[in-house]
Amino acid sequence: MSDDTAGRELTFTERIAMLRATKMRHTEEKWRVLGSMDMDDLPVILPPPESRKVVRIVSGSGLLMTDALFSGFTPKSNHPSGGIFGARACGENIRSLMELHPTYVDPVSSLAGAYIAHFISYRSPGWNPDFDYSHLQGEQEKYRLHHGIGAVQHFCQDMTIGFELGWGGILEKIRRFRDVNTDDEAQELYDGLEHMVLGFQNWIGRHGAAARTMAETEENAQRRRNLLEIAEINTRLVTDPPRTFREACQWMLWYQLAGKMYNMGGSLGRIDQFLYPFYRRDIGEGTLTDEEATFHLACHFVMDTSYTQLGGPDAAGRDTTNRLSFLMLEAAHMLKVPVNVGVSVGREVDPRLLSRSVEILFEDRTGIPKFLGVDRTSEGFARNGYPIALGRERAYSGCHWCAIPGREYTMNDCVKVNFAAVFDVALHEMMSGPGIVPGVEDLWSRFERHLRRSVEVVAESVDFHMDHMYRVFPELHLDLLCHGPIEKGRDASHGGVEFYNLCVDGAGLATVADSFAALEQRIGREGRLSWQELIRLIDGDWPGAGGEKARLMMKNIPRYGSGGSRADAYGLSIARAFTSIVRSRKTPHGFNMIPGIFSWAATIAMGKDVGATPNGRRAREPISHGPNPDPGFRRDAAPTALALAVASVQPGYGNTAPMQIEFDPGLSRSSEDMRKVADLIRTHFELGGTQINMNILDRKAVLEAHRDPATHPDLVVRVTGFSAYFASLSPEMRQVVVNRIIAED
Amino acid sequence: MRGPMTGTGLVFHIQRFSIHDGPGIRTTVFLKGCVLECFWCHNPEGRHAYPEVRYFPERCIACGSCVSACPQSAHALKGGVHTFLRERCEGTGACVETCFAQALQTSGRLMTVAEVADEVDADREFYTSSGGGVTLSGGEPTLDSAFALAILQKCKERGLHTAIETCGECPWTSLESLLPATDLVMMDIKAMSGAIHRDATGRGNGRILANARRLALSDVPLVFRTPVVRGVNDSQEEIGLIASYIRELAALRQAAAGSRGLPREIRYELLRFHRLASDKYRSLGREYRADSIDPVPEGEMLGLLETARRAGIDARIPQ
Repeated sequence: MSDDTAGRELTFTERIAMLRATKMRHTEEKWRVLGSMDMDDLPVILPPPESRKVVRIVSGSGLLMTDALFSGFTPKSNHPSGGIFGARACGENIRSLMELHPTYVDPVSSLAGAYIAHFISYRSPGWNPDFDYSHLQGEQEKYRLHHGIGAVQHFCQDMTIGFELGWGGILEKIRRFRDVNTDDEAQELYDGLEHMVLGFQNWIGRHGAAARTMAETEENAQRRRNLLEIAEINTRLVTDPPRTFREACQWMLWYQLAGKMYNMGGSLGRIDQFLYPFYRRDIGEGTLTDEEATFHLACHFVMDTSYTQLGGPDAAGRDTTNRLSFLMLEAAHMLKVPVNVGVSVGREVDPRLLSRSVEILFEDRTGIPKFLGVDRTSEGFARNGYPIALGRERAYSGCHWCAIPGREYTMNDCVKVNFAAVFDVALHEMMSGPGIVPGVEDLWSRFERHLRRSVEVVAESVDFHMDHMYRVFPELHLDLLCHGPIEKGRDASHGGVEFYNLCVDGAGLATVADSFAALEQRIGREGRLSWQELIRLIDGDWPGAGGEKARLMMKNIPRYGSGGSRADAYGLSIARAFTSIVRSRKTPHGFNMIPGIFSWAATIAMGKDVGATPNGRRAREPISHGPNPDPGFRRDAAPTALALAVASVQPGYGNTAPMQIEFDPGLSRSSEDMRKVADLIRTHFELGGTQINMNILDRKAVLEAHRDPATHPDLVVRVTGFSAYFASLSPEMRQVVVNRIIAED
Repeated sequence: MRGPMTGTGLVFHIQRFSIHDGPGIRTTVFLKGCVLECFWCHNPEGRHAYPEVRYFPERCIACGSCVSACPQSAHALKGGVHTFLRERCEGTGACVETCFAQALQTSGRLMTVAEVADEVDADREFYTSSGGGVTLSGGEPTLDSAFALAILQKCKERGLHTAIETCGECPWTSLESLLPATDLVMMDIKAMSGAIHRDATGRGNGRILANARRLALSDVPLVFRTPVVRGVNDSQEEIGLIASYIRELAALRQAAAGSRGLPREIRYELLRFHRLASDKYRSLGREYRADSIDPVPEGEMLGLLETARRAGIDARIPQ
């Protein structure tokens, strides 16, 4: 809709290209101001320079990051520490941020709205010091645990609640239940929730007005018409529920943007299901075309990169793929920006959805979409004692995770046990004890014991979190669209929802499996060095020329993933030990814990916590990624060997151990080759795999961009569970991606 | 280094998730040793039927372990720089054992039939889901036909689809012996003109063409392939001649099928030469004569494909 094309109407394709260019501009500005970011592509737009303050903060996923504050908003603390704690204070502050938030209307887009700041970045300290957990800190530090205390979001709302009630209906619901639950905890929660809804209404309403004002001076007819539609839609959405597909997309975008703004949350889940009634009705009435629906979805995705599941089983196990599932793929395909779309691949998968997904993966080379082993995750979830129908309801809604929309609190991806750190404790304990004769068996039993203790510390930590979180930073945003929090007057973190299944992930499997196998082979069987020499080498980080030779000796053994090796056997033993320890009991307060194996981008941070390891890893290098073998695990880098290894170590209780796989760019794009990749995907899931993050990487482009990110600013890669601009990543994270493809040579 | 009596053979590589060597997801087993000397060969490490030491100097950390390990004194370390005196090497692999940096690697490992079959079997589920199986390649798999047959039989026993890739330059009896255990034969016809063939590969093509004819008269599904190399066989005439010959073979098969019913397929594939093997040649201390040869442009490949199709055969260029 630029001036040079004022004479004619722009096509949807042209408008999508413009939206993409706008996003690229915003992204490049963020690179300049904020630097690198090893996490999801948060679609935040920087505040205007005159009201921008750059700070270092801890993200919603516990990662230290640089962020920009909008200085037009000054938070109001309610605690001597300067923090903002509890539902009322958090609600007041987020409302105030929303009310002061500048409007954002792009006349090219069919949807209004963007956000410019994270409330979480104003909250310092993040944890209320009145709730002291120093009794846990010693062991949390000892095992370098990502313990989850203070972690936010990472579960999934039920969007249909909002679609049914609208903001007016939600406000009315809060006020109705305020009279039912009159205790202090409930009243404080209602205060917080009400503030948030009022903030929403103000924010949305101002966009309606802004669009109308813009329309008054807009000369281009197409843009003017679009602005007036935006104005009308947003004026109505202040109170009313959405009626059309476009309105539903707009409603969903507001909700998602606010989630990002509040606590970096925002999960979409099965949007091809809950948007479908709107789509079907509009199509039936002739008020919407597929092309237009795809455009609205693209307008959403360009502003919200949250996680989406396409297809998958209904409660009875029948595949639910519909026309919208395909349109969502096409929207992501047209945009080519980081969009986290996961395609369900169960026994009943629509083969056309799978083949179109693989085609797009090959054509775009953006690592989009990813693949979900929905049969395995729902069957696994049932092993917790739930009906399988509930497992099928669990929606893919985050990096590696699923949650029952609106009914389950999970702490997904927030709690991590670093196997390498636990191993390090065991090894040093064995080597420092007087009179101990070191041996691999002894080391294994120590490792198992410390693994058990580290899981116990995690369990005590999450109990502590569950005791206090509602008084620290409650889930106001997610509470609004959950079944229970409003009805009971309890935050989701404090009994508001129906199910509590807390995620406990292990990380660094290959690092430890290869370490055990290397010790067994080089010290035990071959006697090439002594335990004392090994410890000297590890503690000195492989010093001197002899150190490098020893490092390579320890590294070059048959490794986890090679198939049938001792390291493979250790990989399996570690996964089984971890699973059985996590499953052996609930937390002291009785919460169910579900094991997974995933390290997320924290593979770097967790590596920094650990010195050199006997698998030839240097001190502070990244630990191995999730359940994956280390790059170079086999000379042929066979994807089938990788798929077998990762399938073999699945904990199997509904949470995932995703396979990260990079394909040779030499792999062609013939339909036959793509069918073989689709066969690989299906077979991995048949063998027990739960999720696949796949990249078809353009090797040359990645290597060039690693040397100079400016050469390929729009290169998108699937880093782990999330996809991101390659240029957004830190040099270390870029190196992790590069190592994966170099090892394929 | 063949071991039909002991059930072992020399394997230089096993590639799992091999997707360009027959239908479905496959495992390709590369047997060492070939009688042709195609100067563009992609797998030079498979040419000789004995183990060879490959050297990757960029990986060397100059630790000196190989110097003391080698009985032939083929390694020297002077002033922190390692030199490999290849002419002294007898391929014992003693140095490789000590080279943790993997700068020295052996190409060629004696494996038993069971070892090969077990490695192949690991991907069974993937073959089942994709219609894949095992492919024997090389080198030249008919060179150690007893070993090749034993692998194929073992794989057939386990219910796997089997294929071989052959240059066809072998006694017919070697090739024939494999057919009962082979579900697909992929065979090169590199040139119809004997002189071109001899220049490019070191041998004439008389036996190859005769073997092709015999294969056509058998009932095994057949794919003939031509690696199209600039300056060797990239002319319309040469491809036209090959295609005509294949049409002739297809007609023979049709006639021979007679009462047996529908003849099994004969297909033709044109493979585009890629200059990818220079590192391999370097690691073997050999000259890569194809280093200066450019791949035939895609447009020309399509022209050649058209020529082949005009001859009336089922031809394609695999992607």
